[in-house]
Amino acid sequence: MRYITFALAKGRLAKHTLKLMEQIGITCEEMKDDKTRKLIFVNEELGYKFFLSKATDVPAYVELGAADIGVVGRDTIIEEGRKLYEVLDLGFGKCRMCVAGPASARKQLNDGSLIRVASKYPRIAKDYFFNCKHQTAEIIKLNGSVELAPIVGLSEVIVDIVETGSTLKENGLEVLEEICPLSARVVVNEVSMKMQHERITKLIHDLKQVITE
Amino acid sequence: MGQDMYMEWDSNGAELLHTPGGVQDIYGVMCANKLKIQSAVHEVLSSYGFRDIQTPAFEYFDIFSKERGTVASKEMFKFFDRGNNTLVLRPDMTPPIARCVAKYYKDEHMQIRLSYIGNTFVNTGKYKGKLQEVTQAGAELFNDGSSDADAEMVALTIECLLKSGLKEFQLEIGHAGFFNGLVKEAGFSERETAKLRSLIESKNFFGVEDLLDSLTVSNELKEIFLKMPEMLNNLDEAIEFVKARSKSEDVYKAVERLKKLENIVGSYGFGNYITIDLSMLSNYSYYTGVIFRAYTYGNGEAVATGGRYDSLVSQFGKDAPAIGLAIVIDQLIIALSRQKLLDTGITQGTILLYPQSLRDMAVKEAERMRRQGSIIQLVRKSSQKQEEEYKEYAKRMGAEKVIYLKAEDNIEEWNVGQHF
Repeated sequence: MRYITFALAKGRLAKHTLKLMEQIGITCEEMKDDKTRKLIFVNEELGYKFFLSKATDVPAYVELGAADIGVVGRDTIIEEGRKLYEVLDLGFGKCRMCVAGPASARKQLNDGSLIRVASKYPRIAKDYFFNCKHQTAEIIKLNGSVELAPIVGLSEVIVDIVETGSTLKENGLEVLEEICPLSARVVVNEVSMKMQHERITKLIHDLKQVITE
Repeated sequence: MGQDMYMEWDSNGAELLHTPGGVQDIYGVMCANKLKIQSAVHEVLSSYGFRDIQTPAFEYFDIFSKERGTVASKEMFKFFDRGNNTLVLRPDMTPPIARCVAKYYKDEHMQIRLSYIGNTFVNTGKYKGKLQEVTQAGAELFNDGSSDADAEMVALTIECLLKSGLKEFQLEIGHAGFFNGLVKEAGFSERETAKLRSLIESKNFFGVEDLLDSLTVSNELKEIFLKMPEMLNNLDEAIEFVKARSKSEDVYKAVERLKKLENIVGSYGFGNYITIDLSMLSNYSYYTGVIFRAYTYGNGEAVATGGRYDSLVSQFGKDAPAIGLAIVIDQLIIALSRQKLLDTGITQGTILLYPQSLRDMAVKEAERMRRQGSIIQLVRKSSQKQEEEYKEYAKRMGAEKVIYLKAEDNIEEWNVGQHF
């Protein structure tokens, strides 16, 4: 039997996913050991391999076929823009992609003038401002603590994930516009979907059932 | 001030030896393998009566423009000629060949069979881990709109893949008219269609459901769209399901055409290589009928693609139904290599080593052996170099053996036989 390889986005998402997998009978004991330094985990009996990677890398692993299946947030899927099958909404990790900033920035969002936007998601930011709002924007790519940008004057607004909004609030910022809802998704490599059709569709089917229950 | 290493690499003055990303040098065993596979595929195409054609590597942008329905404009490599016309490196072989048919076979109304081997160029962007230049070998069959022609092209694709040495693969077959017919019946706008198409393409059927909920569409059609991913192989069931819900002739015709195709491919004996998938959409919008893609283990992309395009040639001024296929040679090689199906021990030829004094004898001997079909590489032995060095050299180059003319009556033969 050929292995089916899973790429999981490190962190909460992976933990959640593994719990879900356990419910459909796919277990990986090795992975539960927090101290392990292994990078790849195998369930020989069932023919599954698992590895954890940085969330933003999951789409690349899956598109190029190094992993057959991936679990990753929709934000990363849109940002990476790779060719993948996005087959299932796992329903957890729910949050929203938003434009945020100080309340005073609302005016600039509405009058269509040039605006500076800081984001970890330059592609989503660009697409939203250019193609949805038809507003010229200067996109500044940052790699973390994006909330800092409008506070220190690097940009007027930010485009980022908002879960509860408490980080924004503590820093005097608020959600100004909502771009799209987000949650964890199962993605599948196109070729794997054809070549291992039966196993993969069964797996998706089983996962779907557990989620809806 | 000490300059750091990175800056030094980046600065001028260093020799530029690498290629840009997405293109590659192919040499040694890999090149031998590529040529071998190319000629195997070519031989199959010829044996089905396809005749070679060569078209230029770059053409006017208009040949590949949006109306033609090929690769997206921003994925093409563009440049300008002196008259400021936009030129592009061909991203796809089909439109140029359609152009040729309209130009050179204007009055021919019976079958025209053309085949090609050529490189195509798609600008996929940086750091994507994808090839931007790939060799394709393919065939285009014009002036035949029959389902027999469909089946022949499918069978031909399968035979090409088998002859290349591939063993496990699946050819997925769909019909462009199925989705197009449904969309027409539903009356979606261009924008809505594009959205729906991209969701179905990424098999995002929960997204499809959300989208359809927000549009005005009958429940019956909605059921068909949502059932699409499950409509695999069992065409009789699909026909029944669709007929109960759609009134579109185009949609019935698409399913019935696939049914016919399935039967004929079965009579070629290739039934178990194909999967019918009604949720398959065409990558190029010039496709009007049957579409197919072949997948195998070991790489993330299709190794062969094809489809029927009955209205492309008429854009160039000649009405001609047509169907084509393309084997993506570079993807095929990646798959074969990862499946360990490539011959990694190709050894080639004999090195004929001679001292200067025996040159005449060596030249004559080489000529005689070449006439008998051997591959002979002449090497004059330098008096500065030892015999051992030549043995090592032959090994490195992957030669089968070395014949050493030591003296007129003393000929040594060294078997190298080393795989490299």
